[in-house]
Amino acid sequence: MNYFFAALGLVLTGGVAALIFHRQFLFAKGFSLLLTVAGCALGLASLALPSDGPAADWSLTWLQIFPLSCSVDSLSAFFLVPIFLICPLAAVYNIGYQDDAGASLKTMVGVFFLNLLLVAMALVVVAGNLLTLLLAWEVMSLSSFFLVLYDFKKETTRKAAYLYLVFSQAGVLLISAAFAIIFGSTGSFLFAGAATLPADIKLLVFFLACAGFGSKAGVFPLHIWLPHAHPAAPSHISAVLSGVMIKMGIYGIVRTYLLLGSQDPLIGQAVLVLGMASGVLGVLYALGKHDIKRLLAYHSVENIGIIMIGLGLGMLGATLGNPVMAGFGFAGGLLHVFNHSIFKSLLFMGAGAVVKATGLLHVDDLGGLIKQMPVTGRSFIAGSVSISGLPPGNGFISEFLIYFAAFHGLSETGANLILVMLAIISLAVIGGLAAACFTKVVGIVFLGEPRHEELRSVGEAGSWMSLPMLLLASFCLVIGVFPEPFINAVFRTVAQMVPALTVDHVLVATVGTNLAWASRLLLLMVLLIMAVRKAFSLRKEVARGPTWGCGFTRPTVRMQYSGTSYALSIVSFYRPFARIRTIWSGIDTIFPKQAAYASRVDDIAEIALHRFLVSPVAFVLGKLRWIQHGHIQLYIGYIIGTIAVLLLIFFL
Amino acid sequence: MINMTNTILVIILLSVLLSLASNRLSALVRIMALQGVMVSLTPLFLEHHSNLGSGGLIFFQIMILIKGLLIPGLLFMAVRKVSITREIEPLIGYHASLFFGLVCILLSGYITSRLQVSLPAGHELLLITAITTLAAGLFLMMGRTKAITQVIGYLMLENGIYLIGTALTKQSHTLYVVEFGVLLDLLVGVMIMGIILHNINHAFDDVDTTLMRRLKD
Repeated sequence: MNYFFAALGLVLTGGVAALIFHRQFLFAKGFSLLLTVAGCALGLASLALPSDGPAADWSLTWLQIFPLSCSVDSLSAFFLVPIFLICPLAAVYNIGYQDDAGASLKTMVGVFFLNLLLVAMALVVVAGNLLTLLLAWEVMSLSSFFLVLYDFKKETTRKAAYLYLVFSQAGVLLISAAFAIIFGSTGSFLFAGAATLPADIKLLVFFLACAGFGSKAGVFPLHIWLPHAHPAAPSHISAVLSGVMIKMGIYGIVRTYLLLGSQDPLIGQAVLVLGMASGVLGVLYALGKHDIKRLLAYHSVENIGIIMIGLGLGMLGATLGNPVMAGFGFAGGLLHVFNHSIFKSLLFMGAGAVVKATGLLHVDDLGGLIKQMPVTGRSFIAGSVSISGLPPGNGFISEFLIYFAAFHGLSETGANLILVMLAIISLAVIGGLAAACFTKVVGIVFLGEPRHEELRSVGEAGSWMSLPMLLLASFCLVIGVFPEPFINAVFRTVAQMVPALTVDHVLVATVGTNLAWASRLLLLMVLLIMAVRKAFSLRKEVARGPTWGCGFTRPTVRMQYSGTSYALSIVSFYRPFARIRTIWSGIDTIFPKQAAYASRVDDIAEIALHRFLVSPVAFVLGKLRWIQHGHIQLYIGYIIGTIAVLLLIFFL
Repeated sequence: MINMTNTILVIILLSVLLSLASNRLSALVRIMALQGVMVSLTPLFLEHHSNLGSGGLIFFQIMILIKGLLIPGLLFMAVRKVSITREIEPLIGYHASLFFGLVCILLSGYITSRLQVSLPAGHELLLITAITTLAAGLFLMMGRTKAITQVIGYLMLENGIYLIGTALTKQSHTLYVVEFGVLLDLLVGVMIMGIILHNINHAFDDVDTTLMRRLKD
């Protein structure tokens, strides 16, 4: 694994170099970017080498008692690809995004922690035993905490970072508990020991690990930190956090599942139900939010839900002995991990470009930006098409694989049949709502008329920022239009992961080809319609009017559809799951002077957490405030008292 | 050799009692320097530590340097810098403290006999001294108001931990992870104390830690 570690070393050196040379802003940026990109390229290349690729091993004993080991198998290699692909693009984007030489040290600290996060994520994925995984996981959590804290001068950022720290540390606690059970019963840190546990202990370990890893991934009731942390961080960091880091949670869940090798259907069912809840509620809240980055954060919850549905179907299929359902479920889930990392980082970068150009985050403040920012707007649309699961985007391919798995699950009976049917329905609901949400974002932000005069004078993002966006947008389309190699690769990964789950090659090839043709046909039709429209309007005079003028003689930009009004009719249908609060001053005279209207949609997980956990705990602890009186001497007295009591228990 | 060990241990015990009864800060720092040197010498005179490697010897030399020179030196500097002229200001009087020290020795003897650790012959006094030092350190932290005496109490606590480690390990161990860890803590503690002391002094014109309760939220 020498090349792999050399790659990580290069990336880390890039981070440290940025810190050392922070006084020479341009040199530090360029040098660290060069090292980061070179390291990532080497890392990607090393995956293809026989010495570094799947089945490479490395181990070391740390402090004489802690064995550390790394090994690459097909699952690790699969998750390494988005890490080495998205992070350097984010680094390139960062060159244009943070170009304030006055805040050089702050920028370089950001670069350092981003590179540290990259290295930690790579180590999480290749960790070969429990201890290494925990150590790398903790480095990852802490470095990402500092990245969220980037704009530390803002009160909301500090709060978001604190919330994230609480969630990630609670998650680590649960993961440690799961690993401690494995260690306690086998006496070694080896992964292999997990398979020898008794069946009911396996269930306990899985659910503990699932809660721990799920809090990082943003699975439904544990996703609360995501919509706070992503808007707080700078956009390229949100892109990495949302595109790559939360997938480490998915990796953890899959890895734990594979290690335990449990045949209990409860695991698959639980993952499926969690996926459905995250998917539907995530997209619902996304529809209700109008801060563009918060909305994207909720879409991450939604996509994690889709991935979990795929994995849940895969686990259920494996237990029920349905190889087609299992294979397609796992393949769809994993491919969606890859796809989501591409289009979500693209969307966050697009949002970052909008924020940098306008300084505004609320969709109802923006409008008509595609005329000023054509590259950003068009690549954002490409990302939107993909995330909505529409052809020819890449999201269509992976979601179709999951649908395919679900339809093959319809041959099951009883509770499993109902779950599979629910999965199909929720996938359909998710797709529909996601499309609605992105028509909202694209329609309000990029189309229409600018809602402020200043928006008419904003310029396109610089080439450092548009280059990564263009690259990612083209990835979306390439995977969507030529999906066969990607589908084959992901099926190879699944087959190496679980050898029992080999799906018939012919079936995979047929599905791949048909999908490809469906995508291409749709793209062709769109192009054809565009060409026809062009041909018809070729010899006619084209008059330009305000967008959505609707025949009014004197329309104003304030008469446009707003994001709130567009989404409210859909959101109010799901009222029990989304609390809508409206503030409406009312009109009481015949000639009203002023009226105000505002509405916000609240997350039930957040409300429940506040009502059932935080408030009672704060109440009880508030009663104990007298203990904290400020006398250091008495604090030490507490310690001595505790020791004395413990010793007395021991002696008596 | 046993006699030599016992002599050192008695000196340590006396230094503990003296530190409980002393009312001058500079005297207290000097006592701590003496105690530090004695504590780091103890393992050298124990029989099962007689075949030390060069690594062990270097470790003990560093130990003596840090405990006898570096930390007391830093403490002296802190005393000078904030010009603490007043006395120690005990919460618990000197006579009561001294009495507590004597009770502590008795209790340590009782605990040692109850613990029933299989100690090498003639090492009972070592464990008694260790526990007394530890308890007296905690007592100093509790019973005095100034921040600097709290650090000194912590230093004494560390000496006690070190002695317990020496008493309980039969082989001359090669890994001083715990000792080094505590020592590192202590060094950091002394430095932070220097800074905090300076700031408390700056803010309140005094180094009395009871004033710090104004800072609580």
